[in-house]
Amino acid sequence: MTIGLAHYLAVAAILFTIGVFGIFVNRKNVIIILMSIELILLAVNINLVSFSVYLHQVVGQIFAMFVLTVAAAEAAVGLAILVTFFRNRGDIAVDDVNMMKG
Amino acid sequence: MDFYGALQVALPEAFLAVSALALLVLGAVTAARGAILVSVLAGVALLVAAVLAAVGPLGTAFSGGLVADNASAFAKVAIYAMSAVAVLLGAGWLERLKARQFEYPVLILLAAIGMGIMASSGDLISLYIGVELQSLALYVLAAFRRDDAKASEAGLKYFVLGALSSGLLLYGASLIYGFAGSVKFVDIAATVHAGAGTGVLFGLVFLICGLAFKVSAAPFHMWTPDVYEGAPTPVVAFFGAAPKLAAMVLFARALADAFSGAADQWRQVVIIIALASMLLGAFAGLVQKNLKRLWAYSSIANVGYALVGLSAGTREGYQSMLVFMVLYMIDVTGFFACLAALNRNGKPMETIDDMAGLMRERPGMALAMTAFAVSAIGFPPFSGFWAKFFVFKAILAAGYVQHALPVGLAVSVAVVGLVSSVVAAFYYLRLIKVMWFDPAPGAVDAAPADAKGIAYAAALFSFPVVMVGLPLLYPLAGVAAAAFGLG
Amino acid sequence: MALQAIAFYLLAAVTIGAGLLVVTARNPVHSVLFLICAFFSAAGLFVMLGAEFLAMLLVVVYVGAVAVLFLFVVMMLDVDFSALRAGFVRYLPIGGLVALILVVEIVAVSASVASHGAAAGAAVLTPSHDITNAEAIGRVLYTDYVYFFQAAGLVLLVAMIGAIVLTLRHRAGVRRQNIAAQVARTPATGMRIVQIKSGEGLSE
Repeated sequence: MTIGLAHYLAVAAILFTIGVFGIFVNRKNVIIILMSIELILLAVNINLVSFSVYLHQVVGQIFAMFVLTVAAAEAAVGLAILVTFFRNRGDIAVDDVNMMKG
Repeated sequence: MDFYGALQVALPEAFLAVSALALLVLGAVTAARGAILVSVLAGVALLVAAVLAAVGPLGTAFSGGLVADNASAFAKVAIYAMSAVAVLLGAGWLERLKARQFEYPVLILLAAIGMGIMASSGDLISLYIGVELQSLALYVLAAFRRDDAKASEAGLKYFVLGALSSGLLLYGASLIYGFAGSVKFVDIAATVHAGAGTGVLFGLVFLICGLAFKVSAAPFHMWTPDVYEGAPTPVVAFFGAAPKLAAMVLFARALADAFSGAADQWRQVVIIIALASMLLGAFAGLVQKNLKRLWAYSSIANVGYALVGLSAGTREGYQSMLVFMVLYMIDVTGFFACLAALNRNGKPMETIDDMAGLMRERPGMALAMTAFAVSAIGFPPFSGFWAKFFVFKAILAAGYVQHALPVGLAVSVAVVGLVSSVVAAFYYLRLIKVMWFDPAPGAVDAAPADAKGIAYAAALFSFPVVMVGLPLLYPLAGVAAAAFGLG
Repeated sequence: MALQAIAFYLLAAVTIGAGLLVVTARNPVHSVLFLICAFFSAAGLFVMLGAEFLAMLLVVVYVGAVAVLFLFVVMMLDVDFSALRAGFVRYLPIGGLVALILVVEIVAVSASVASHGAAAGAAVLTPSHDITNAEAIGRVLYTDYVYFFQAAGLVLLVAMIGAIVLTLRHRAGVRRQNIAAQVARTPATGMRIVQIKSGEGLSE
């Protein structure tokens, strides 16, 4: 059977759902949440690249490149904030809202 | 358009980018000694960029990615001017903390570039890059006090939810690209006019969710109260104002320029978000004791009012949204400048009870805060009244005059808006009562000149300057709103 | 054709399986390794699509930088990760149900975009042989999209400033090499001749 656009989009859709699911079930573990966000961005990239290829234009791949760049920057900033949070609290659980309530 | 012409269209952002790089080098060379100089120069650079945006040539550059029109010029002048105020407020704050860090003004400059890109975005790529440039700078600013546990918690929450919202926005953008076969708003508009399929509407809903996160509209507001409470007050003064306007303009641009063909579909979603924001902001604000949290809920409600203007989907609606956001930005910056200025025995006064007896201790500050509270209630003739007045006028006109949406819907949106403003009035009045009539528990420290100046200027704008400014602002916003592709 | 289908299903299955393991693994180090695995097989999918440059970039940027950064942070933070799994089992059934509904919806929407969108009916790309993928990207990246290219540079600059501001600490009492001072030393400043009386020593 022929592999078409819909096949690639389905892979992206499943990866996107896994990312959302990962955030939902790992609410306390910020590192896994960050990795789930990377999975969501990977799903977006698969979408963009496969559209780009099947539309016979290169702009989707350019978009994917920028997504990649920004994702790297996002990971750096996110992990930096996580490290400061860890230094202050000695833990990385976000769910215990003991400092801020209301 | 040749490269030179394109650069001229992009001049405000290009100028800011070069300034940011130069100031970074200057800051690195002079270290703590030059922090004040870097702040002053950053403020000047932002004001120059505002002037450049106002007088610069209009046009479209870089294959449609950058659109300089009246709407973007209007938004950029307001955004850069407010960012300059934030630089000033932050410089004084860092000086008092003895933490002279030149990175602070540079990050504000970079965030301002992101907001400029958002305000003149013409395709999905510039939408995404603008949003991310602004957001990344804001995440860092929220956690800027790295030894403060609350600030880093605020930064982390803001980051996690912001990154998730960017992911949703992006997935939506990828579906829209796949459906329309182009990232440009113009081409997307043509496709949507020819018939909006399920795929593109699904993409649009994702996009709206992502943007609603950025403007902190309900039900995507979860981050707002925590981040407002945890982040340093001058930083909150910054991201309560300019980034909201940038995100609203981007919202308006995406809906009007790319999806005017699906107006009936997105209007429903935007109206639901607007109603939820107004009601949630009003009711959840009632139980708040911390003023920063209270103003966070107030900002959620206010974004709801601005979205009402957007949901009208008419030129007048967009005009009222722009006027609303500008008036709101000035009020919110003034309020947080007050909070940044007020300390008791070196500790910041952040709860409503802390404000007890402020009228006797610091009458000037108390009067300014009273002006902001009265304005937030929407009491005439303060600026908050005019802001809401134009929004409700626009939605009713969209129902009765332009027939853009059913009359019943327009009226019920306006009624919900009025009800939630009456409910919200309760907590603003409580703040005024505590300030004016409760006994003071102790002396209030002298307010620093910079924050006090900003607070007084904003309070004076709220009333009476607004009476002079509004006849100028309203037509300008009208010219700006005409630039959106509403047809 | 059959070979292509086998390759696709293999890579897709590995990508999805690794993705699922990222979010369910007990040990975050394993999660990072599965993330790397997912990126590698996604890069394989990109190669199948004819986007070799993006595939290379995915491996270089993600596996080389982002995943290593994750690994570094996971190992640096001394956290009891098992405590962070509290609630995992509780959220699992409802999360799984929601995910199942979501995946059906999104796959359906994707299929509708594929069949009704601009790319409807497009055949598989036959890569043109006169221009490579990297060249095609390079031709527009520095011309039509130079504005975004520069803006993306600013995004990276923000990330750099942010990471430095948030994590760099100037510790007091750390002695650093000062090359200029070392080079500027002359025998006159670097050496001192002392006359020591016998039996008294030198106290300094």
